[in-house]
Amino acid sequence: MTFEELISSGALRPFKGGVIDSSVSTSLPLVAHNIKSLKVDIAAEQQVRLVVAYTKSCQAAVEINLAPNSSLELVEVYLADSYANITVNQAENSRCKSLVALLRSSNATYTYALNGRNAESVFDALFIASGSEHATLNLNTRHLISDCRSASLVKGISAGRATGEFHGLVYVAQDAQRTDAQQQNRNIELDNSHIVALPQLEIYADDVRCSHGSTVGYSDAEAIFYMRQRGISEADARRLQIEGFVQDVVSRCQMEPVCALVHEAVTDKLSKI
Amino acid sequence: MANGQQPNMLKIENLHASVGDKQILKGINLEVKAGEVHAIMGTNGSGKSTLASVLAGNEKFTVTEGKVTFLGENMLELPIEDRARKGLFLGFQYPVEIPGVTMANFMKIAVNEKRKYNGQQPLTAAEFLKLMREKSAIVELDSKLTARAVNEGFSGGEKKKNEIFQMAMLEPTLSILDETDSGLDIDALRIVATGVTRLKREDNATVVITHYQRLLDYIVPDYVHVLYKGRIIYSGDKSLALKLEKEGYDWLINDYKE
Repeated sequence: MTFEELISSGALRPFKGGVIDSSVSTSLPLVAHNIKSLKVDIAAEQQVRLVVAYTKSCQAAVEINLAPNSSLELVEVYLADSYANITVNQAENSRCKSLVALLRSSNATYTYALNGRNAESVFDALFIASGSEHATLNLNTRHLISDCRSASLVKGISAGRATGEFHGLVYVAQDAQRTDAQQQNRNIELDNSHIVALPQLEIYADDVRCSHGSTVGYSDAEAIFYMRQRGISEADARRLQIEGFVQDVVSRCQMEPVCALVHEAVTDKLSKI
Repeated sequence: MANGQQPNMLKIENLHASVGDKQILKGINLEVKAGEVHAIMGTNGSGKSTLASVLAGNEKFTVTEGKVTFLGENMLELPIEDRARKGLFLGFQYPVEIPGVTMANFMKIAVNEKRKYNGQQPLTAAEFLKLMREKSAIVELDSKLTARAVNEGFSGGEKKKNEIFQMAMLEPTLSILDETDSGLDIDALRIVATGVTRLKREDNATVVITHYQRLLDYIVPDYVHVLYKGRIIYSGDKSLALKLEKEGYDWLINDYKE
């Protein structure tokens, strides 16, 4: 199934932006497809699921404002070369859970501004660049007030002659005491490809719990040998290992039927590297 | 038991192997026939694990001289996976963790690759599940582990049981068990060893690499070989293991001139 088919099947509700309050039905996930700009205001107490899909090359600007006590589950999928800028402003007690699958030569920038106390941002992302692609994921998590939490897990794979980049910044303002910010980045670099990983912490408060980690690894020769010793071909062993590497990010996508499609797109992409 | 009429299953002739510039195996000769159990013992660094790795085809090592024939074929020319599909199994001393790949998926691919190689149809999902249940019982492996990623978060004992479980699933012709007993408590050792014994048949063979005699109380070998500085310097029957346990290796090593 393609995204177009999924949308026309009626499983998702097309959305052009605007205020989401109790007058808007949120029983189905909303979908914004190949948009140029999107402004979303999620009213207090609302729980929204939103899919943003790029299946044609586009330049997109997305602004999402979460009012107090609202929540958003966001899935963003790049199946075409795109340039996207996404800003999420979070008021107190709001919660945003994002899942990004960047599967083409795209440049995507995500900014989460935690403006209200006790706001929470969970960000899981995967980028895969193969052939001569260049995929860039920028993540800017801004703790601007006390008592907010953020957690990100970004996994990247580059293959062929591709380049994959991750730039991650956790910014903690002076007033943002008792911030809890975790940022994890794991990458695998295959063939003659290149990974650029730049995780950064910028902390001005003194009572915080922040951690970050970033690794670039290669295909694990021991694991490949182990699988081949059980009769699995070298190509299958390599594929299994890479699918296994992204499995935890992919399995965190729980918005059906969108995630089945994401899973399929990832598997398809991996089968070609 | 040993049977002089049987053709060799495995024949190793003058095998030399190195890693980098370092020569580790310096002329191994060994013949294994169907139905036999061989134990290879020796001190640390004698080349035991290297021998197992080289037979399995680990590309970390370079074979510099010699010949290995497995079921009538020049094994050194076969890729790693074809040696496995042909019936060679290596029980790893340190089983490798493969995050995100479930045991069930891993075993399903492995079993069906071997079946394909031997001209058999792949197992259906139901047949495969039944096989998993039967074989996990042999080593008392918690069936929940088969839903988890390969070896990830397994205890030391579970990892070793998992090796024998995989051996049971793949029904190898020749199993090489590389220090399968290391790091096991007495209960896990008994379970693992009993599993190996239950898998023993007239048409398969087992090579057990071990430091300690205690494993050989359960898996009784027909032959015991002592490896030292890359060569088998002495071979005997199971009583040799007991003698080594009591007297150590010095009496052999002192006799041996390089």
